[in-house]
Amino acid sequence: MYNWHFEVVWDYQGVFYHGALVTAQLTGFAFTIGILGGLLIAFSRLSRFRVVRLPAAFYVEIFRSTPALVQLVWIYYAMPILMGVQLSAFVSVAVGLGLHTIADFGEIFRAGILSIDRGQTDAAKAVGMQYRQTMWRIILPQAVRRMVPPFMNETANLVKLTTLGSILAVYELLHASNNLITTTYRPLEVYSAVAIAFAIIIYPIIYFSRQLEKYWEKKS
Amino acid sequence: MSDPPIIVVRNLKKSFGDLEVLTGINLEISAGEVVVIVGPSGSGKTTLLRCLNFLEEYDSGEVFFDGQLVGYQDKDGRRIRDAEATISSIRAQMGMVFQHFYLWPHKTVLQNVIEGPLVVKKFPQVKAKELGTAMLEKVGLIDKANIYPSKISGGQVQRAAIARALAMEPLALLFDEPTSALDPELVGEVLDVMKQLAREGTTMVVVSHEIGFAREVADRIVMMDEGNIIEQGTPEEFLQNPKQERTRNFLSKVLH
Repeated sequence: MYNWHFEVVWDYQGVFYHGALVTAQLTGFAFTIGILGGLLIAFSRLSRFRVVRLPAAFYVEIFRSTPALVQLVWIYYAMPILMGVQLSAFVSVAVGLGLHTIADFGEIFRAGILSIDRGQTDAAKAVGMQYRQTMWRIILPQAVRRMVPPFMNETANLVKLTTLGSILAVYELLHASNNLITTTYRPLEVYSAVAIAFAIIIYPIIYFSRQLEKYWEKKS
Repeated sequence: MSDPPIIVVRNLKKSFGDLEVLTGINLEISAGEVVVIVGPSGSGKTTLLRCLNFLEEYDSGEVFFDGQLVGYQDKDGRRIRDAEATISSIRAQMGMVFQHFYLWPHKTVLQNVIEGPLVVKKFPQVKAKELGTAMLEKVGLIDKANIYPSKISGGQVQRAAIARALAMEPLALLFDEPTSALDPELVGEVLDVMKQLAREGTTMVVVSHEIGFAREVADRIVMMDEGNIIEQGTPEEFLQNPKQERTRNFLSKVLH
């Protein structure tokens, strides 16, 4: 029978708080980049013009068909050689995950918009509404409700993806834990604590998403 | 029927890929006239209707609404698509009611009705609500004003959709098979509203298989087949003495 010694972990709780903060920062940056860029990508892919549509589609396919880890490493090592800028490991991971999230969020936004019956648009056009009015007042309010579940899923995924930062020695939760193990020799306790820490971060996102869905279900 | 035509269609053609769905339509509709378009499915009725307010872009020919070419303008002898604002302003004067209603499910019945006046005509809230309330009274739905569309019956949804179209105070109303998606017992209440509108002198273009409705209120019935108009006339002429073999065939099927 294994003797658990969680008190060791408890003594080093500061390491987890700091790791969680870095994880939250990475998530926050990537999330913000993902939303703004995702909207741009989604509307570009829905454009009437091929010159706008094609590059956006190309971007999405590139990012969705390569592993996030490869993207991060590539950005970290390629940028100084190709562009002469050395990004810090933290910035590389934040930007890399951001670019990755753009592709995923973009697809969620696009699919959400496309899932709304064309008749909804026709009815808006028929009363004389223009594209922008139709999009903001008729299509997006309906589409957002359908986007929420996959969007929250992807956000939870993004939190998990920040652990890739450990490869570039960014002090997010996983990397902080690996370091802690070298001083405590308590991998089982430390990794268990990391798992719990992630659950504490991610579960509220899932819970919030469910509550929102329930609220909307009741309302319509 | 001396009123000037409000809708003029000249040699209208439209294809979807290789399939020519409108093969050169000519049609004039006067202000105050009620025209019912009938014909077998696939004959191009709905496409014709959707070309009138440019929900469907036509390939050649002309549609004039209130004297204005719909959807295109001539520039140096070439035809180019009109600006979105111009197309929208024409659509705003032409109400449309759809087979599948298309009320906006995230808005209440009243919000559906006042959306156009608020957003397109920029009416202030109070004025829009007054107008919306009046329109809901007209279609007998005032007690459903603050309810979401998913909570009312199909017939009520379609009446709300008619109120939404009326709230823009359009010069003409287009109906695309407004009762085809309804349970039989709900058809009557929608047709009653439409009959009332017809009697009030509303200009109406109605694609429908409701021959009884056509007989009662239509000024003219237009028969379409294979992308064109093959026969038209007053309900008496058309229903009692159809000239075309295809019309007789069609009527025998829908009148049974």
